Amino acid sequence: MQIRFIQAIVCWFALTACACIASAAEESAPQAAEEESRWRLGAALGYGLRSNPLVQSDDIPIIVDLDIAWFGERFFFDNGDLGLTLADNSALTASLIARFNSDRVFFGNTDTRFVSADLAGMPLAEATEFTVPDRDYAIELGLELLMDGSWGQLQMAAFHDVSSTHDGFEIYLDYGYGWRNQRWYVEPSIGVSYKSDALNDYYWGVRDDEVSIVLPPYQANAGTNAHARLMVGYQISRNWTFSLVAEYERLNDSAAASPLVDEQNVLGYFAGFGFRFR
Amino acid sequence: MCWAISPGSASGFDDMRRLILLLLLLMPAFVVAETDGEPTMRMTVKPMLCIIDKRTPLCELAFLVAWESERNGYYCLFNDFGEAPLRCWNDADDGRLNDERSVDKSFSYWMTGDDTENRLAIVAVEVLRMDTDDRRRNRRTRHVWDIN
Repeated sequence: MQIRFIQAIVCWFALTACACIASAAEESAPQAAEEESRWRLGAALGYGLRSNPLVQSDDIPIIVDLDIAWFGERFFFDNGDLGLTLADNSALTASLIARFNSDRVFFGNTDTRFVSADLAGMPLAEATEFTVPDRDYAIELGLELLMDGSWGQLQMAAFHDVSSTHDGFEIYLDYGYGWRNQRWYVEPSIGVSYKSDALNDYYWGVRDDEVSIVLPPYQANAGTNAHARLMVGYQISRNWTFSLVAEYERLNDSAAASPLVDEQNVLGYFAGFGFRFR
Repeated sequence: MCWAISPGSASGFDDMRRLILLLLLLMPAFVVAETDGEPTMRMTVKPMLCIIDKRTPLCELAFLVAWESERNGYYCLFNDFGEAPLRCWNDADDGRLNDERSVDKSFSYWMTGDDTENRLAIVAVEVLRMDTDDRRRNRRTRHVWDIN
């Protein structure tokens, strides 16, 4: 697993280096004066939490959030995602994206404990130490389509693992619609995310070498997660915003049935003040 | 809300003006003494921020401009949209004006006294464009704290 992780990191850095070289070339090329900065830099300070669906885990606190993005003519970096824009016209924007998989984030906040019952609730003869198995970050490469209009915004994407971590794929769809009334902005959004057999099983399955008296074997199949999000923002000044964000994600049934999963629903919220350089 | 305080001005021959300007730069206390010659003007504009986007490309608002001076006098209110004052007040030490306007760019209101070249107070109204033609800037990342 360590070798896979190192491969994934090397792969990601290679992609970053390519993007940096390309962006440097873009910046050195003569271009028309633009009002909008290529950089989007900001930070938010507040309080929030994202629940962790794993057994024996802690929720993920959110205190500070940094927003670091750079948008070139073709290449862009958006908070960890690297993109190469292939087409941009009045109908859509299509980009090739390299990113880290999001499912790994839950496995970073787990505990090691002595338990007196297995994960099905059956009592054990003696207290046994149990650790949630670790999972690696996967680097995924995919195609993303963005569309918008008076009807709202649509984001569609398909990603495949390129780091030989899970060898699976994901198809993502998100629709959002925003209302603005001067300083107030409200944007609900909903979406679904299809996870393939391989992806789901890598993160939520229990492999033979992980089976113990506490943890039974489990093979996860493909499934579809659903999510909904509500963002309410108030523009305090040119640079400062106050935002309330709530998010709900329902794990697919196959992931939720894993002995590693305690809660099918993942809830998140954040309230805080954001500063953006303009 | 924002209060703007009038800047000082120097008068006299060119050499003397240069000397005063130098002293103003070097001695902050001297600035206070020089500004004693002009009334302190305070001015507010509400709202000071207007937000536009694709669906609302214009700010159609009534801007309430209020001013207050420490001294009675002749004062005029200007903005960036015309050479002529919006309104002048005679023998007054305060005033208000409701200015209905459609704008899509930031602009300023300012007050003058008898000398219309000398701005006693200035307040900028900011028109902030929140939309973008670059769809990639609106892509949803997967963080719950992904705020606009």
